[in-house]
Amino acid sequence: MPRNPNKVFASISPAEFFYRNRQMAGFGNPTQAVYSTVRELIENSLDSCEDARKRPEITVEIDESPSGVVTITVSDNGEGIPHAHVADSFGRVLYGSKYLSRQRRGTFGLGVTMAVLYGQITTETPVMIYTCTENEEAGRTYELLIDVEKNRPIIVSSNSVNRNKVGTSVRISMKGAVARAYDRVVDYLRLTSISTPHSYIELVRDGEQEFSIHPSCDTLPTPPALAKPHPHAADMELLRRLIKKRAQSSLQEFLQKSFQQVGRVTSSKIVEFLAMDPQREVGDFERSDINRLSTALQNFNGLGCPTIDSLSPIGEKPFMNAVLETYDAVDAGYAQKGPSEWGGHPFIVEGVIAIGGRLRKAKLPALFRFTNRVPLLYDASEDVMTKTLNEVDWSRYGLAKSREVGLFVHFCSTRVPYKAAGKQSVATEEKIESHLALLYKELGRCLRRMTKKKKKRAQRLKEAKGYSRQLSLIAELGAELSEEDEVPPVRSLVEQLFEVDLDV
Amino acid sequence: MSEFDDAQKALKNLGKQILDSLREGEFPTLELPDRTTGNIVFDKTKGQFVLGDSRITRDSKNIKHIKSFSQLMWVAAFAKKLLSAQRTSSLRDLYYSSEGEGINFSSQSESDRIVADLESLTGMAREDFGIFPEEHSSIYGRVTMEYTVPGYEGREVDLTISPDGLPVGPALMTAEPLETEAELILALESGGMFSRLIETRAWEKFNAVLVQLGGQPPRSTRRLMKRLHETLGLPLYIFTDGDPWGLHIARVIICGSASSAHIRGLTIPEAHWIGVTASDIVNYDLSTESMTDADMKRLDELKRDVRYADSKWQAYIDDFKDLRKKAEQQAFSRHGMDYVVDVYLPDKIA
Repeated sequence: MPRNPNKVFASISPAEFFYRNRQMAGFGNPTQAVYSTVRELIENSLDSCEDARKRPEITVEIDESPSGVVTITVSDNGEGIPHAHVADSFGRVLYGSKYLSRQRRGTFGLGVTMAVLYGQITTETPVMIYTCTENEEAGRTYELLIDVEKNRPIIVSSNSVNRNKVGTSVRISMKGAVARAYDRVVDYLRLTSISTPHSYIELVRDGEQEFSIHPSCDTLPTPPALAKPHPHAADMELLRRLIKKRAQSSLQEFLQKSFQQVGRVTSSKIVEFLAMDPQREVGDFERSDINRLSTALQNFNGLGCPTIDSLSPIGEKPFMNAVLETYDAVDAGYAQKGPSEWGGHPFIVEGVIAIGGRLRKAKLPALFRFTNRVPLLYDASEDVMTKTLNEVDWSRYGLAKSREVGLFVHFCSTRVPYKAAGKQSVATEEKIESHLALLYKELGRCLRRMTKKKKKRAQRLKEAKGYSRQLSLIAELGAELSEEDEVPPVRSLVEQLFEVDLDV
Repeated sequence: MSEFDDAQKALKNLGKQILDSLREGEFPTLELPDRTTGNIVFDKTKGQFVLGDSRITRDSKNIKHIKSFSQLMWVAAFAKKLLSAQRTSSLRDLYYSSEGEGINFSSQSESDRIVADLESLTGMAREDFGIFPEEHSSIYGRVTMEYTVPGYEGREVDLTISPDGLPVGPALMTAEPLETEAELILALESGGMFSRLIETRAWEKFNAVLVQLGGQPPRSTRRLMKRLHETLGLPLYIFTDGDPWGLHIARVIICGSASSAHIRGLTIPEAHWIGVTASDIVNYDLSTESMTDADMKRLDELKRDVRYADSKWQAYIDDFKDLRKKAEQQAFSRHGMDYVVDVYLPDKIA
């Protein structure tokens, strides 16, 4: 007879719980472990560079020893981690700086700790960290282990080093399978260069540089602003945390100061709706009061939409250019839907549809998913983006026959409804689904236009080539008539007239 | 010979003009007289069709023009080859020669039209470039000509050398008339009448050079007749069937056709049409057929045609319209084999 799982959860530490359920976090097998470790470290690095307002320069090193130990090192030029936070950031599950309402790559503060934990269990080696912030004279190195039962870091060593390069470098050794994970890692890096087109990414394997991806976009994106939560997002956990911050506030003041879209008028209405005393201190709220408040806020009508300056869509030009460059695509179109909100969290869906180049031929567009600028490579079939894609009749948009079409979809939100802690697929939320459907239809129309344009261009090239033959003939015959040996070239005239490149 | 040199020069200039444009990085253009009906006018003093002032530009930049542009260049280069090799070609031959040259004439009428473009561009006749139509008419009579074509230079030919008459080809067309004992040229619509007049020695009786037109005569024949008319001073009499088509054969020889409005030196304004007229049909009591609808329609067309504005020609048409009958040249046969020679022609030529 299985015992109540809540009781199990209550009796073990979060670290232990996640270790036991590591497949949830994407560490189910040695292949996934390599991929997930690279991924978690890169996400942290990119977020850190974003905070530092720097163009990310990231090096990924993967070394495999003959005994099957894989060492993964990811170095960045981000803001570094203040020394006081290093141990907890890497050694404690659910610790981190990401419990804020704005678009981030990481969410739970779980991934990196999971990687550290996995390395520790499989190879009994600590994670090695070098970090240095702007404010420090010198960097430090750390060796950390995790006390699984107590969910706390064990500092094996901590030394000041004679180096002050700002940024962080993390090295994790684990039993892993590089050969099988390698292609996924490469795909991940390439797709990351699309969703973070202003980054420089380098991959080194066993000491040799495999490739480097240069930025396809010159400008840094505007950083997403911190926003107060929207009342619709006020679940029990959030309310409890907000109340803790403003325990002395009156209910009305609390509402106005803690939430966006809530002013004097709206807060009065909410209080009236709740039939509570507006002057009551929120610190005195019982669990049942918080529950009532939560239900009321989540269901209160007539609130404005959440602000979107807390979001960072990739944007039309950077997104399109990155896709065109990465896949050598012939043409691309862009569309964006939203802003809208799901459960109080603002979101935008944007997408690029591209044709030709190195894209695979298929009857459905090859789908590339991104959430908050992170590419998703696993569990595609469970994703709402896939589900919605399959519901569109692509033959209507000129995909009756198999063609080279890629669909790159970016969902960005202050919170992504992932299906599992592995963060590989987005759950079906009605509003997200309906916006995706609209997005796909617009991209479908883009596809139709591009197809027409491509046909027209092919037609034009054909015309240009036919014309070129005639004009060349005129030149040759002209030379024959005037008894000259040298036939003047006509190519530039033709290219200028047709605005085409005759070499294509 | 100067026409030959002129033609060579014209072609060379055309080539230079094209290369100059291309070297300047410009799209070559050609300007040529507009040959569309709107620009064909009847010059009353010259008594023939001429082209008006309107000109068209063929621009290689225009995708719609490029094909006919390159075709024109090809025809010019083809002509250059003919001239350098001192050869001639028929229009049909030219059409077939274009195969595999990237030119793609859709039909011979297209290549014929491009040849006419070369004519109007250079102001010279296709014959000057060695290009001839394939249909041949024939000539017979006491004229001595001297060939100028390669291999025959200086050789003389008496046009009575064959009892079938000599075909009017490129060689005869470019030959120089030296001398004649004839006093007139008699052009005949049908081959039958031509043979009859040779056999019956009517040419001797009328002292005539006989020309078989074979329906609407080719330009080379018209040029040869004009040449004989002008250099030897022989008057031209035209004897055709008694119907609107015969009437028009004569009128075209006299004052030209719209399709040759860009060419000078073809018309013979002083030529005489000697019938068969509508009144001849009545006067000589000829075998007749009724006019068809097509005949009547053609008469209406001719009546409106500027070339028939003259009252004499209007009368010819009106007579046919009233009579509603037509007769071939052969219709005189009902009065006996020699009637046309003994009675009709002396009446008309006198």
